[in-house]
Amino acid sequence: MDTFHPRITAPLNTAFEIYKHIIPDFSLFQESLIRPFPVHLRMNRLLAQPSKVVSALRKKGIVMTRVCREHDTLYVAEDLPYPGNLLEYFLGHIHPQAMTSALAALALRPRKHALILDMCAAPGGKSAHLADLMENTGFLVCNDLYTNRHVSLGHTLSRLGVQNSVVTGYQAQEFPLRRQFDYVLADVPCSCEGRFRETSKITQYREDKGRAQLPDIQKKILLRGFDLLKNNGEMLYATCTYNPAENESVVNFLLNERDADLLPIHPGIVFEPGLWEWNNETYDKRLTRTARFYPHHVNSVGFFMARIGRK
Amino acid sequence: MAGNDSRLAVTTYLLERFGIPPAILDEYHLFERKRGWFILGKSEQVKNGAHLKVSKVGLRAFRKVGQFIKPTTRFIQAFGRFATKAIFRMDMAQFKTLVQKGEIPVDLALEKGYVILTLEDDVILGLGFYIHGTIRSQLPGKEIRESMLESF
Repeated sequence: MDTFHPRITAPLNTAFEIYKHIIPDFSLFQESLIRPFPVHLRMNRLLAQPSKVVSALRKKGIVMTRVCREHDTLYVAEDLPYPGNLLEYFLGHIHPQAMTSALAALALRPRKHALILDMCAAPGGKSAHLADLMENTGFLVCNDLYTNRHVSLGHTLSRLGVQNSVVTGYQAQEFPLRRQFDYVLADVPCSCEGRFRETSKITQYREDKGRAQLPDIQKKILLRGFDLLKNNGEMLYATCTYNPAENESVVNFLLNERDADLLPIHPGIVFEPGLWEWNNETYDKRLTRTARFYPHHVNSVGFFMARIGRK
Repeated sequence: MAGNDSRLAVTTYLLERFGIPPAILDEYHLFERKRGWFILGKSEQVKNGAHLKVSKVGLRAFRKVGQFIKPTTRFIQAFGRFATKAIFRMDMAQFKTLVQKGEIPVDLALEKGYVILTLEDDVILGLGFYIHGTIRSQLPGKEIRESMLESF
């Protein structure tokens, strides 16, 4: 039985100490937490050509570097403080998005004309990216339980020119089973450890009450997402936490419960393979096909991804 | 789903006011709801969502404003490139005035109504309303910031 690690508050140097043996170059990892996140920008191909947008931004003096050779839509703009103040943001030509978040849709790689479900879609960056990759074809169901989050979700989809989507408000783990999907994205609620950085206001990592229930919710969402897949369909399970109880353990639960397989991930940036043991528990060896992204390697939010296939 | 009359009203308006061909909307389902229209790309897959309780469909494309059909900023940003008339090309100075004062004086050979605003030749910003020798900004005030002018 996995245990969730209750660390209500902890100073920076001890908050993630329990991961010392699984995070490589741990001292570099800790050092990365005192640096602010850089701004990453995704070029939105639904409304503009990436090369033209990059050229326009550079003319304004914005220094931008392509994140990797594989993806011509992902850039880092280290010194850009407020991307929302750019005209290109209003025009929907760019979307500020953590680079690792942008990799989720790229890892799923939906084909055109497909049927897709984004189970926990707000605020909509990944949904809009899926629509971009499908070139606004097919049908995209963007689900989020909280109706107050539908405003930001709808705004993101509109601003980025998404024309193939609907928004629904079901509990992800109870999404109706009547139709099966070609692709499912489950970027589930998590403890968000990967988003932590020490700033002038935040010097301690704080875990909210109630997060001990997260692995149970995550397992339910993952099972429902898998049950919503067509045969030969593909699913991406993602979190922004380092906690194996919310990552490998949840996916291991699926492998025990269903005839699922883990597919390789080719993100184009450096990552560590998933764990097959943690806290005296051994997981299915296939868990090494999952991907862990650490902030000191990728200069972005810590992230976990598992690409799951239905046989 | 919008009826034939409703679709005809929208496509006729787009053609007569902006020269946007009606065929542009052939690839879209049109939904009418609460004095507005929404477009959703046609796909074989759409029927698979028929059982779902949906809170938002596709892209809000038009609103009824008094006697006018008003295209949304987002619709114009996506489809304005198909327009052949009722287009006003602003230079940077005019754009600044429009944002700061809310209107700019111009003399156009146009009946009153909506005009597509572009910046220079290729940036489609959204809509203005032409009346009595001025264009009044219809750009979303909360989203257009003066910083956008500085960084251009």
